[in-house]
Amino acid sequence: MAETATPEILPGAGQELETEVKSELEPGYLVICWNDPVNYMDYVTHVFQRVFGWPRKKAEFHMLQVHEQGKSVLARESLEKAEHYVHQLQKHSLHATMEREE
Amino acid sequence: MKLIGRAEDRLQIELAPREKDLLMQLLRLYPRIPSSYQPLSKAAEPEQSGQRLLDEALSEARSQNKNALQLLLADRKRLGQQGDHWRLHLTGGEVEWLLQVLNDIRVGSWIHLGSPELPLKVLNAQTAPDVWAMEIAGSFQMNLLEMLES
Repeated sequence: MAETATPEILPGAGQELETEVKSELEPGYLVICWNDPVNYMDYVTHVFQRVFGWPRKKAEFHMLQVHEQGKSVLARESLEKAEHYVHQLQKHSLHATMEREE
Repeated sequence: MKLIGRAEDRLQIELAPREKDLLMQLLRLYPRIPSSYQPLSKAAEPEQSGQRLLDEALSEARSQNKNALQLLLADRKRLGQQGDHWRLHLTGGEVEWLLQVLNDIRVGSWIHLGSPELPLKVLNAQTAPDVWAMEIAGSFQMNLLEMLES
């Protein structure tokens, strides 16, 4: 009977994979909305309320931050959730991206 | 364009004939934002699979929106003439969806203009169609937002 080959495990390889998986699950991604001259302030506020379920006041705070400072960090999430939020914001044609937290 | 009735989640919107014609002309432009226009990240080396999935998802959503739009506008029970005016019957969710469609036309037209600072300083024969679409889409958007919040 042929022996089953035992896979050779390189030192540190498992740890690397574990770190990668962990980093994707950790809230290390920022969801950012950037200013542009075309989206109406009222519309941006409305979209923030819809996408994040925020009350109007919080949505307006972030909308004003986008307008006055050029961008606002809307959420700090895992890779998957950050992608979801960026997708939702872009479906509404807002200028949104996700960036890895430094 | 004005809200004339609301029952539970359904909105009844009245459009003057000229408004209805403008809306029809405008919605023909959808989708207006070029595909693969929106980056997932500004990072120098963005994650390629995530970008591809995002592009595919946006493209699929736009295709579904276009089909739904054609069905809605062809449905005489949803958009029909009553006397001199037109009546549009939408659920709250459909108003949200129509807002997305209108904003795609607004932002897409702005992109076609070269993403300039607004208000646009130069209006000429070349820029007029995009400026028209951008402004009319914006006007309908603001009307719908007011209806949702009234």
